[in-house]
Amino acid sequence: MVQVTIDDASNTAIAGTAHESHGNTPPRDSLLAVQKLKKSYGDIEVLHGIDFALRRGEVHAILGENGAGKSTLVKCLAGFEARNEGQLYVNTKQEFSGADSGAGSSTIADNAVSAQLITAKDWTHAAAEAAGVVLIHQEFNLAEQLSVAENIFLGSELRGRGLASLFLDKKQMIDLSRDYLATLHCTIDPATLVSSLSVADKQMVEIAKTLAKDARVLILDEPTAVLTQKESAALFELIDRLRGRGVGIIFISHKLEEIERIADRITVIRDGDLVGCYPAATLSKDDMARLMVGRELSSLYPKVPAPHESASVALSVHGLHVAGASAPESFELRRGEILAFSGLVGSGRTALFETLVGLRPARSGSESKIFVQGNEVRLTQFADARANGIAYLTKDRKGSGLLLNKGLRENFSLFALAQFAGVLIDTRAEQSAFDKAVDTFDIRMRDTGVVAGNLSGGNQQKLLLAKMLETEPDIVIVDEPTRGIDIGTKSQIYHFLAELAAAGKALVILSSDMSEVIGMAHRVAVMHQGNIAGVLSGNEITEHEIMRYATGLKAAAA
Amino acid sequence: MINYEMTAVRARSAHGSLGVMLRLGTLCAGTFISAACLFAKRSMLTLAASSLLLAAVAPTLHAQTIGVSIPAATHGWAGGLNFHAEQTKARLEGANPGLKVVLVTANSASEQANDLEDLVAIHRMDALVILPFESAPLTGPVRNAKRRGVFVTVVDRGLSESGIHDVYVAGNNAEMGRVSGEYIKERLDGSGKIVVLRGMPTVIDEQRFDGFMSALEGSNVEVLDDQYANWNRDDGFTVMQDFLSRFSEIDAVWAQDDDIAIGVIQAVRQARRQEELFIVGGGGMKDIVKRVMDGDELTPVDVLYPPSMISTAMELTALKLISDTPIEGEYILGSPLITRENAEDYYFPDSPF
Amino acid sequence: MTKVDFKTAGPFIALIALFILGIFVNDAFLSAGNVSNILARSSFIGIVAIGATFVITTGGIDLSVGSMAAFISGCMILLMNALMAKIDSFVTIIFLAIVASAAIGALAGMINGLLTTKAKIEAFIVTLGTMGIYRSLVTYMADGGTLSLNFTLGDVYSEVYYGTLLGLPYPVWVFLAVAIIGYVLLNMTVFGRHCFAVGSNESVAHYSAINVDRVKTATYILQGLCVSIATIIYVPRLGSASGQTGILWELEAIAAVIIGGTMLKGGYGRIGGTVVGALILTLIGNILNLTDAVSNYLNGAVQGVIVIVAVYLQRGAWRAKN
Repeated sequence: MVQVTIDDASNTAIAGTAHESHGNTPPRDSLLAVQKLKKSYGDIEVLHGIDFALRRGEVHAILGENGAGKSTLVKCLAGFEARNEGQLYVNTKQEFSGADSGAGSSTIADNAVSAQLITAKDWTHAAAEAAGVVLIHQEFNLAEQLSVAENIFLGSELRGRGLASLFLDKKQMIDLSRDYLATLHCTIDPATLVSSLSVADKQMVEIAKTLAKDARVLILDEPTAVLTQKESAALFELIDRLRGRGVGIIFISHKLEEIERIADRITVIRDGDLVGCYPAATLSKDDMARLMVGRELSSLYPKVPAPHESASVALSVHGLHVAGASAPESFELRRGEILAFSGLVGSGRTALFETLVGLRPARSGSESKIFVQGNEVRLTQFADARANGIAYLTKDRKGSGLLLNKGLRENFSLFALAQFAGVLIDTRAEQSAFDKAVDTFDIRMRDTGVVAGNLSGGNQQKLLLAKMLETEPDIVIVDEPTRGIDIGTKSQIYHFLAELAAAGKALVILSSDMSEVIGMAHRVAVMHQGNIAGVLSGNEITEHEIMRYATGLKAAAA
Repeated sequence: MINYEMTAVRARSAHGSLGVMLRLGTLCAGTFISAACLFAKRSMLTLAASSLLLAAVAPTLHAQTIGVSIPAATHGWAGGLNFHAEQTKARLEGANPGLKVVLVTANSASEQANDLEDLVAIHRMDALVILPFESAPLTGPVRNAKRRGVFVTVVDRGLSESGIHDVYVAGNNAEMGRVSGEYIKERLDGSGKIVVLRGMPTVIDEQRFDGFMSALEGSNVEVLDDQYANWNRDDGFTVMQDFLSRFSEIDAVWAQDDDIAIGVIQAVRQARRQEELFIVGGGGMKDIVKRVMDGDELTPVDVLYPPSMISTAMELTALKLISDTPIEGEYILGSPLITRENAEDYYFPDSPF
Repeated sequence: MTKVDFKTAGPFIALIALFILGIFVNDAFLSAGNVSNILARSSFIGIVAIGATFVITTGGIDLSVGSMAAFISGCMILLMNALMAKIDSFVTIIFLAIVASAAIGALAGMINGLLTTKAKIEAFIVTLGTMGIYRSLVTYMADGGTLSLNFTLGDVYSEVYYGTLLGLPYPVWVFLAVAIIGYVLLNMTVFGRHCFAVGSNESVAHYSAINVDRVKTATYILQGLCVSIATIIYVPRLGSASGQTGILWELEAIAAVIIGGTMLKGGYGRIGGTVVGALILTLIGNILNLTDAVSNYLNGAVQGVIVIVAVYLQRGAWRAKN
């Protein structure tokens, strides 16, 4: 059994002993393996010699902080990025025992056991797909305006026979699609448009696509980030079935309990180095977190003392009627307070606050009264909110938070730009403010010239935080502040938020992460179908109580 | 019933009487009248006056419709065309209550083909006057109209197939080029260096250019270069500027079109080289004719290619409908040289062209 | 090893290559007269293209600029001819015409902007519509012919195009001034940053408290003003306007912008590149006029090839393959 000792100084020793090394060649039962893989972007090396092997019929989790190199590694494995050094072995073409293979799927000698050596130049995305290695991205690759069946066969459409070969064989494609989906225990009609599907169903379609391609290696990059708990459970059942068929699955997630549930082996990487490869059964969640971060995590949720009763009201909202909500809403927030808004996905948290800060119009004809630090204000556009010391961080940091193709400094200063400008922008002041923010928020980047889209998710979130806090707002509203972020960065963000509250700022956290809500908030407002169902404070804040309000089992005492 | 004097004499008078062009009695289908027959703008007016007379004499019993299809007014010459078409329409309709003229303008050959279908299907025209955008694409559509019994008058640009039109009224592009060439050759005493600004690569341009070059044949007049100026002032200016930078000695410029000539004049004035050369334009634009009339050394002459030919075509067609006179035939207009002496006859300050 | 930034250097390389080609083609190319002709000529498209850089950077497009130029020219000429009867001072008349030109340009730009932002119609369709409207209006005003400026007044006004300062024609100075102001506005002010942000991602701009509609409308107004400036120096050249004035300017302006390295999809704009782009387009025409080496029939093909090569150099697509 592998011994896991956690000690900063002995990390390399762990890597050395724990890694299941087999000399110079990967194990013979590997589907896909790399040795001493190095990858650089420009002059910066991001992977420093990774060994990795995926067996048939296993779920192999890759664990690491944001920016550790997980995504780069799987991109190299799937042929999306060319590696700079190292060997890549692939051996996917032998028949799966007991698996039903499509006709003509194995043209290479079926009993070829020795791994074929593929050189870096040959391992393109097309070569990977031909070998049955498929990566499902976090952002789906589906044509929204085509049907499910058309998507499943996109690029490999079936045609009729004889003269009919001029035309698509729609019936067969729909029938086959139905079969694939049935294998996944999924009941979507293959004729529906993808645009009308839920996120979870879209993911099913992505996986069904891989069946059509007879995938032997399936790489899932944070597949559960966009799923509800129930949908995630269904996905895990599906993964179990694919594993049973002999498919090798590489699984990336930040949710340690999911890895505990599904993984057979776990490879941990940190800052581009291999930490080690471990049988999942030998690691506890705490072990995983420590291996990943390389240090002891201080308590995840810092304690912020509740504001004194005499603390003044920072924000007071009366009769705010969100378009589409059944009733207007009112609530108050004190200085130094952390108020969380919880509820099921789609319960109207985001709509409520985007309406409040002027990003969306309120229900027409409705009248609301809003007081900031005791003064009545009108917030008809977001700039009004900014002028009144309110900042709102969107949960959609890629779509609405940051300009992914722009530099970090430009992104940083966009919200607070007027502070750096008279007639012209004072770029020196802008730069020094940015340098300071990089320091304060611990934003890590390859070099200062990168664009925001090249940052890891956690660093993007820290940049977004820096951008919105540069105006020094007194009221900070954050929407899903830690979604899709590794545990180390999460902890950092909680500490930033705690510091804000401790400094007397008023804080609103909108979150669907129950432990985050319970860990951080002084009070919790639970939303149900567009309105606040109840407000909990102190000892009332429990998962059970929140769920009762969130599901509508309990309503606020009138 | 008609009180016209009919004559077969080919008069060259710029003040031409009615009889000059209307050879009503003597013309029969297929008769070909060679070039020299000249329509000056003045004579058109006379013709118009006679239509008034005609209406008074022979009021029609049932409504007759003439469809007129021409290119839109996108440049000077086409602007003149539109102006004359509008004027003639007003005159004809005013004088003949039973006559309806439907005028449509097109921006492309395909648009014009659509117009023809509408004229047949919706307006049920009895006669068509058309200046085709391009010859080949419109031959089919015009033939279709003809098969439905429409009397067809084709103006300026012939169709690709013979035997479709009943009347053909046209300028002579080769003649226009030849007249310009001969003037330049004579004025330079058979030797000198010239530059040529052409229009666009079309049949019309080719005919003019070939006519021009044939006139220079055998002389020592050297064409330094020719470039397209798109029948447009700005391009005329630009191309001429570059010619002036490139050639230190230019004796004459053939601008082929008066819009181009306007640009050329400005470029020459900018370079202060008015003294060394002269410019020959084409078309008969009022600004240029005025310069000729005033004795401008830079533009001593112009060569006529009148947009008013559309009026002639419309008048002839109306006459056919109303009087049932046999008017079939081809009317080819000449391209006389406009000089200081005769310029007054070609100067129409009210025309847009 | 120093890396060459082809995004910036690409258009310059193309310009220098064309310049060298010009020298080889004809000795007259380098003559003071020819160089000043090229610069003055490129100023129309150049000034219009600087406005277009703002519109395109912000993710829009304006197809109406050529027609707008014709329309404003027509209005200026009609106004000046009418004022001749009422005002004695030619300078006053010209000044009033310039003020009117700027007002019409700004208004026309605002109409494009408001139809795009408030009526939520795609910029392509809005400006395709106004393109047809302005073109027809000027044809109508000229009765299908040409509007000509009064000759006496034209002689005074023509100084604006033909006059020189320090050996360079006035239009070149105007071009330079507009380019500098455009550069400062796009790269050094809050408005310019907002243009980049809106063109890059409207949603992010919205969530950064930027008034997206106002920024977009402002770029169209700016475009209208640039068209009016180009018109103010265009009218004195030939003293006339017709339905053919400014034809295809919109495509040449857009081509100059794209050659210069601005992205058609928005979010990335370069004023310096646009200036170079306008010079490249003018140079191509000039060189073709200075040589017999290319058949007249192939002029368009040569222009097309050079434009594509210039953009290819600038995108550096060939480097991505290595």
